[in-house]
Amino acid sequence: MNPSLKFILVLIISLEVSVKMSLTANVVLIIGAIIYLLFQKMPLLKIGRLIVIPIPAALTVYLTLAVFTAHPDQYSGLSLASRVYVYVLLIACVIVNTSAATFARSLEQNLHLPSKFAYGVLAALNLFPKIQQAIKQIRASGMMRGEYLSFWSPMLYFKAILQALNSAENLSQAMQTHGFVEGQKRSTIAQVPIFLSDWLSFAGLLLIITYLVWFFN
Amino acid sequence: MIPIEPALVNTSEGIIRSAAARIGGFFVFWMIMMTELAVKNLSFNYDNAPSLINNLSLTWPIGDFSLLIGPTGCGKSTLMKLLADLLQPQQGKICRQGRVGMMFQDAGEQFTMATPRDEIIFALENLQVSPQKYPARLDYAVATTQIGNLLDQEIVTMSGGQKQRVALAVLLAMNTDILLLDEPFASVDPEGRQFLIAKLSQLQQAGKTIIISDHLLDDYADVVQHVFSFSKQGVTELGEAEKKQLFQPSPQVYGHFATEVETSCFTLTQTQLTTNQLILDQEHLQLAKGKITLITGKNGVGKTSLFRALSKLMPYTGNISYEGSELSQLKARTYLQEVAQVFQTATDQFLRVTVGEELALSKQRRNAFYTDKRIQQVLEEMNLADKLDQSVYTLSGGQKKLLQLLIMLITNHRVLLIDEPLSGLDAHACQLAVKLIKENQTALQQSILIISHQTRLLLPICDYHLEFANQRLVYREV
Repeated sequence: MNPSLKFILVLIISLEVSVKMSLTANVVLIIGAIIYLLFQKMPLLKIGRLIVIPIPAALTVYLTLAVFTAHPDQYSGLSLASRVYVYVLLIACVIVNTSAATFARSLEQNLHLPSKFAYGVLAALNLFPKIQQAIKQIRASGMMRGEYLSFWSPMLYFKAILQALNSAENLSQAMQTHGFVEGQKRSTIAQVPIFLSDWLSFAGLLLIITYLVWFFN
Repeated sequence: MIPIEPALVNTSEGIIRSAAARIGGFFVFWMIMMTELAVKNLSFNYDNAPSLINNLSLTWPIGDFSLLIGPTGCGKSTLMKLLADLLQPQQGKICRQGRVGMMFQDAGEQFTMATPRDEIIFALENLQVSPQKYPARLDYAVATTQIGNLLDQEIVTMSGGQKQRVALAVLLAMNTDILLLDEPFASVDPEGRQFLIAKLSQLQQAGKTIIISDHLLDDYADVVQHVFSFSKQGVTELGEAEKKQLFQPSPQVYGHFATEVETSCFTLTQTQLTTNQLILDQEHLQLAKGKITLITGKNGVGKTSLFRALSKLMPYTGNISYEGSELSQLKARTYLQEVAQVFQTATDQFLRVTVGEELALSKQRRNAFYTDKRIQQVLEEMNLADKLDQSVYTLSGGQKKLLQLLIMLITNHRVLLIDEPLSGLDAHACQLAVKLIKENQTALQQSILIISHQTRLLLPICDYHLEFANQRLVYREV
């Protein structure tokens, strides 16, 4: 499905799920999302990680509502805990087969967001691996000069922010030399089309899930 | 221009060819006529800093290959950024006609997208190139710079030389009339450098204007038409005699190096390093203790990755032992106080804001050799003595490299892994850096490994020469 449509669909479903408690809808969404992820050939290890990492959050929610309360309620405990998984897995469904570049292009072409916003977000996303690398490097540089920076040391992040600011300025110059001018019209070489089938599956899925959320507990 | 064979002039094919040549010639002429680059009474200074460019007036020769030389920190990069419209002058005027493209000193920080293909698409969309014209532009840029195998690789994972090839490809796809290149070859191997300079020369013959700044003058003698010398006083063009003098081939260094290591600081046994492919597969290697070893090899072969592994920034398989202990078993915190890396990018080394603060930090763990007196003396030689309160980020590229080297030489280490110490340094600064490394090693008996392409300057101070090729490191006699 078109990335922007998929993003909007996930946004609407998340809103619906957070307004109305429905364990049935949550379970269907979780199973559906896992099947979709498997279908998109996401490695089992990654799916496993998506299930394991939210356990503390889901468990806390469950225990609060179903055990450690004056009126324990299994149903709300389970449906709120499963909500955590709905959010995580739906977001995974959006990003599993969409690269950051395609997503930015889709925001620009399909949703007509300003290109400055789309590419600004993209440039920031591309900075992430650099920042990760930088933090590792800064820690090593510190140790090489007898200064141990732990992961909660403010110095580590101060330095990382300094470097990021420096990179951001270079990046804006880089965008400019590659012809980017704010507000100027751009052509479309890499098209992100919306097909009829995209609209149909968007509408179909939205109807089915809305029905499940509002008419099943 | 396309040569016309006389025998063909009267045939129909010949008529077409000669017409094509004329149109081609006219096109080059037209392109040159439509291009202009000049500055008039230009002055510029960064916030609170003394004036860097003062009342400069200059017209750049269009359609020619110009080389810009001058000492570190004289304002070459700033002038180029002004020409590319990335900085605004406080005074004066810049006349710019035709599209200007620029390649930066820092290879990594000139891309918005993750892969070369996406970057080229991004640039062409900015220029409103139609999707029909895109394939031809892409093919041309890719074929000219030979980056076909890199097109969909993530740029973050590429070596410095590969990134600069990609940067040139983007400018070619954009079809810019004027190419400004700010020390683009600082981390490019000699072969890659020759390749890129030859390509630039071809582009100039096709009507493009090339303006390049560089400290290393190899390979330019036959391709440049103009050399501009940049100094505090301003910019002057060198005459023919001065140009000839400048391009005098330097004597080749032939050394004779040992291939047997007596005592080693590092021993590699069945060691493998992998990035996105296997880069090192070494059966056995000893790295000499208390000596200087130069490591050479093509871009992307894995030299920096070797240093990353030796400074515990990258995992390895097999064994690497340091002074008899397995590297992976040693605690980074204590190990890195003995073994330090001098990174390729100077800003990666800095932990404080100003020059003075950086020096103060290094002094806390300094070696016996670097007394206050010596530090002051070296700072003066580096022209940094009056810059103690300046932010390290506002120093010029060369000044950053010199300061970085100094703070690492002051700190007490037994092993130094120095990655490209001479990139971005002018001739005087290069000599200074080489001298300082040698003095440190003699005084402190450090084990020093250096990665560099500048063999002519560094081999005279080295005891060993290691060549990295085909996933192996081999000692060479010359």
